[in-house]
Amino acid sequence: MLLHAALSGLVFGFYFTLVGLGLNLVFGVMRIVNLAHGDFLMLGAYSAFWLFGLYHLHPLLSAACVLVVFTLVGLPLYYLVVPRLLAARDSEMLSLILFFGLQQMIEAVTSIAFGTTERSIPGRVLGSGPVRLLGQALPTSWVFSAGVSLAAVALVYVYLYQTRLGMLTRAVMVSREEAVATGIDLHRVCAIAFGLGLGLAGIAGVFAPFMLGSVTPAIGPEINIAAFAVIVVGTLGNPLGTVLGGIVYGVSLMLMQTYLSSWANLLPNLLLIAVLLVRPTGLLGRRVRRA
Amino acid sequence: MSRKAMLCLIAALACGPAAHAQQAAPAEIKIGHVHAASGAYASISMPVYDGLKLWIDQQNAGGGAMVKPFGKKIPLKLISYDDQSNPGTAATLINQLITQDKVDILVADSGSVLTAVAVPIAREHKMLLFNPTGTGAPFFTKDNPYIALLADPASTIWPKYLAGFLTTDGVKDGLKRLAILYATNDFTTTQANALRGFVKQSGAAIDIVYDQGVPTNTSNYGVLINNIAAAKPDAVVELGYVGNDIAFLRNLQDAGQKFKFLFALYPGVETDEVLKNVGAQAMDHVFTYVTSQAIEYKPNVGMTLDQFREAFEKSYKGQGVEFGFNAIAGYHSGLMIGQALADTDSLQQLDLRRALFAQSGKVTTLDGTFELDDTGAQIGEITPLGQIIADPKGAVRNVVVFPHELAAGKPLYE
Amino acid sequence: MRRGLRDVLFVVLPVVIIAAVAPLLYANELLLFSFVMYLTLAQGLNAIYGFTGYLPFGYVGVFGAGAYGFAISVMILGLPPFAALAIGAAAGVMLGLLLTPLLRLSGAYFAIANLAAAQAVYQVVSNPALQDITKGPYGVSLSEVFAPRLSYEVGVAVLAATLLAMAWLRNSRFGLSLQAIREDPISAAMAGVAVVRGRTIAWLLSALIAGLTGAVFAWHISVFYPETAFDIGISIFATVFTLFGGAATLIGPLLGVLVLYGVYNTIGITVPQYFQLIYGALIVGLVLFLPDGLVSLLTRRGIRVP
Repeated sequence: MLLHAALSGLVFGFYFTLVGLGLNLVFGVMRIVNLAHGDFLMLGAYSAFWLFGLYHLHPLLSAACVLVVFTLVGLPLYYLVVPRLLAARDSEMLSLILFFGLQQMIEAVTSIAFGTTERSIPGRVLGSGPVRLLGQALPTSWVFSAGVSLAAVALVYVYLYQTRLGMLTRAVMVSREEAVATGIDLHRVCAIAFGLGLGLAGIAGVFAPFMLGSVTPAIGPEINIAAFAVIVVGTLGNPLGTVLGGIVYGVSLMLMQTYLSSWANLLPNLLLIAVLLVRPTGLLGRRVRRA
Repeated sequence: MSRKAMLCLIAALACGPAAHAQQAAPAEIKIGHVHAASGAYASISMPVYDGLKLWIDQQNAGGGAMVKPFGKKIPLKLISYDDQSNPGTAATLINQLITQDKVDILVADSGSVLTAVAVPIAREHKMLLFNPTGTGAPFFTKDNPYIALLADPASTIWPKYLAGFLTTDGVKDGLKRLAILYATNDFTTTQANALRGFVKQSGAAIDIVYDQGVPTNTSNYGVLINNIAAAKPDAVVELGYVGNDIAFLRNLQDAGQKFKFLFALYPGVETDEVLKNVGAQAMDHVFTYVTSQAIEYKPNVGMTLDQFREAFEKSYKGQGVEFGFNAIAGYHSGLMIGQALADTDSLQQLDLRRALFAQSGKVTTLDGTFELDDTGAQIGEITPLGQIIADPKGAVRNVVVFPHELAAGKPLYE
Repeated sequence: MRRGLRDVLFVVLPVVIIAAVAPLLYANELLLFSFVMYLTLAQGLNAIYGFTGYLPFGYVGVFGAGAYGFAISVMILGLPPFAALAIGAAAGVMLGLLLTPLLRLSGAYFAIANLAAAQAVYQVVSNPALQDITKGPYGVSLSEVFAPRLSYEVGVAVLAATLLAMAWLRNSRFGLSLQAIREDPISAAMAGVAVVRGRTIAWLLSALIAGLTGAVFAWHISVFYPETAFDIGISIFATVFTLFGGAATLIGPLLGVLVLYGVYNTIGITVPQYFQLIYGALIVGLVLFLPDGLVSLLTRRGIRVP
């Protein structure tokens, strides 16, 4: 039972890494909190549902489409709202409100277009029956989703550490002022990171019907809370720390379900607070906080 | 306010001396309602709203609803606001309907959380709250005459036949080890408690080997299923909201886990919605409640099940609102409003109440027999135990297996 | 201190008088109560956010603690409403005290941790294991003390006290020192301002206001579920209203609530089918075009607002 819970938690955690990854990238680069992150994830799920219903498109292909389309949608959206936001006095806090407004709009439009009933994609699409791992049976669709998540993490790693644009992105993450002073085109770097953040949320959405059973237009805020726990426990602003956050989140959630099930959802919140109080910059945080 | 005053004035002038001989009939009967078009409760609220709207549209197509004190049909006007699943907004909108729109009939939103805030407001303004599906026990007290639960049996009644089966036929068939998994909200926790109570009370030789609550927003049951299996139960009862049940049944199928007897709540409540999300195979042989969508009652008021289903699907095709128990509940609420209007002595709220309570035990609609206890809780409608049988084409039927007098089939164990 | 007197005479007094007589003129008392509640909460949030820059995104946690403090006092202890109000307020302050370590965090960290804390309190209160105390998921019914009129008046009294406190904060040395901390904590500390103590006092004041408001809310609404008292929408509304009007002023949050909550209710009643869409769009537009709130229209021109 313990081994099964731990292993499931690990797989579950990999998926939640992907759920938090885009949010963390956006925060890391722009220091804004995208409160509509969960809603972009929800849109990814609806896209996959729609593509599957119309063309029987495999979720893996849907994920590729969603990544491209969402990233491209993110670019004009960035230029429409973020530069104005960054110019404001307290952009970090204002972003919460701005993206709350956007979140409301997305949820409203999706409710009108698709209705409020639960939606999902059959699990057999990703292979039927369980997979055996270390003698424990795990659903194929979980293992598949976890695999995609790890691939996405690898993609972000390659982008940040192996490309020139990634290097510039990291420079902006370290210090926006210095990056601008050295002549980096701030908005180009930020816009791409923003688009990528939405694209990652979209991919996570494609696999949400398999990991969460079903989706409705209202799941956004709930997803955000889980994503917050993951990225804060990892390290806020450090996209790769998200992996650690995801694992801690997944494993502890599954252990709680096993031993204290009715309190299971309390744990991520307590974990988040505890980590912040002990290590205010997250488990992998190195920077010293101000004041 | 001014338009209404003007209408009154015009009506008074037109009717002249006749007007004070008989009480003037209003130009329309205003039905006030709140619904959640978005947010957490939208998926249970929208079908109720659509079902109610369908009834009103039908009445108006025939010239309106018969209102006894005026001896004629009067058109109905639905005023329905969107509370966005926000209880605070629901409360102010209910008050708006009462104090500003001055509605004649007040209908609560679906589900207990959004209904709760309306209960004291309706009572304070002495408005009868027509409550479609808010089953919360604290709403129904002997000292509050201003509430009636129309469509949904009280939560404690739901598991009656499930428990009846488990403690008699079930034990005989070797279902001795019982596992209960429930979502920790009002609706399903009450049922879990009632089930546990029924089982203990019966003295049947049943061991409860697993009994856990999980938060209602649980969306992943893989580990829980593994833990239940480790307790080696013969019978598993899973009680959740529709999203919980979908996740549970999908995870069960993904894990390739089978239990001899498996009960889940929503396959019988929102059958189409669950079917679309988990598929016929995952539902096959699952035990569930039999709600009005799977029993052909012989209504003496309103459409039959098939007629209503056809009308509902025609009206709301492609709008993402699935036919199911909640749609029936909305339509049935309309029917009961119609019955009350046709039998009341005036539009006074207590007269409406008398008229509505007078229907108790006499009216059968597609939702079953309407019966209220003296606190206004619904006790007439019942939920027998059924079993889902899938055919190879991917359609499902919900076959009653208990109680014996209603049974249409024998239980099949895995 | 003259300024303070002027603020009380020209801002606090008219608002309180209008709130007190409004039920005589307009029958939807619950809508008026919601206005009073958000006017109070927006000021409570202003005390911490406006003056120190700490945004408690889980402000509703303290509000809910107050509501449940009230409910438990009535149901379990059988206390009369006014004693229960005191317990509700105390519950808010206690939770605030428990959360003071979060003030060590800054920016988004504080906001998110605060949200997590509110969720945690909600999950504890609604857990069936605590059914004997909180009624767990079953919801509470306080029909024996239900008094819509009296509770409305108490709500107005709480609003009056809150506004007075804020008028003092706006015009006192203490308020000034808080704003200095907000602008630059290190310089403020070097100038001899007790940074930690200042922040803690502002946060506890803010928690007291939320706890008291929550208690009055519980009294007024009387039948509710944990989902109602801990509805995250309450936090978001209070935040949006404060920011829209303009934080760190007395009149900003007032304007924010009156305009934005007024618009919210108007849309809800006139165009319910596009309610959420229009409201969302409105918020996005406001942040983009008026990031410092309504009062910035005046302050930009060098006009001092209360």
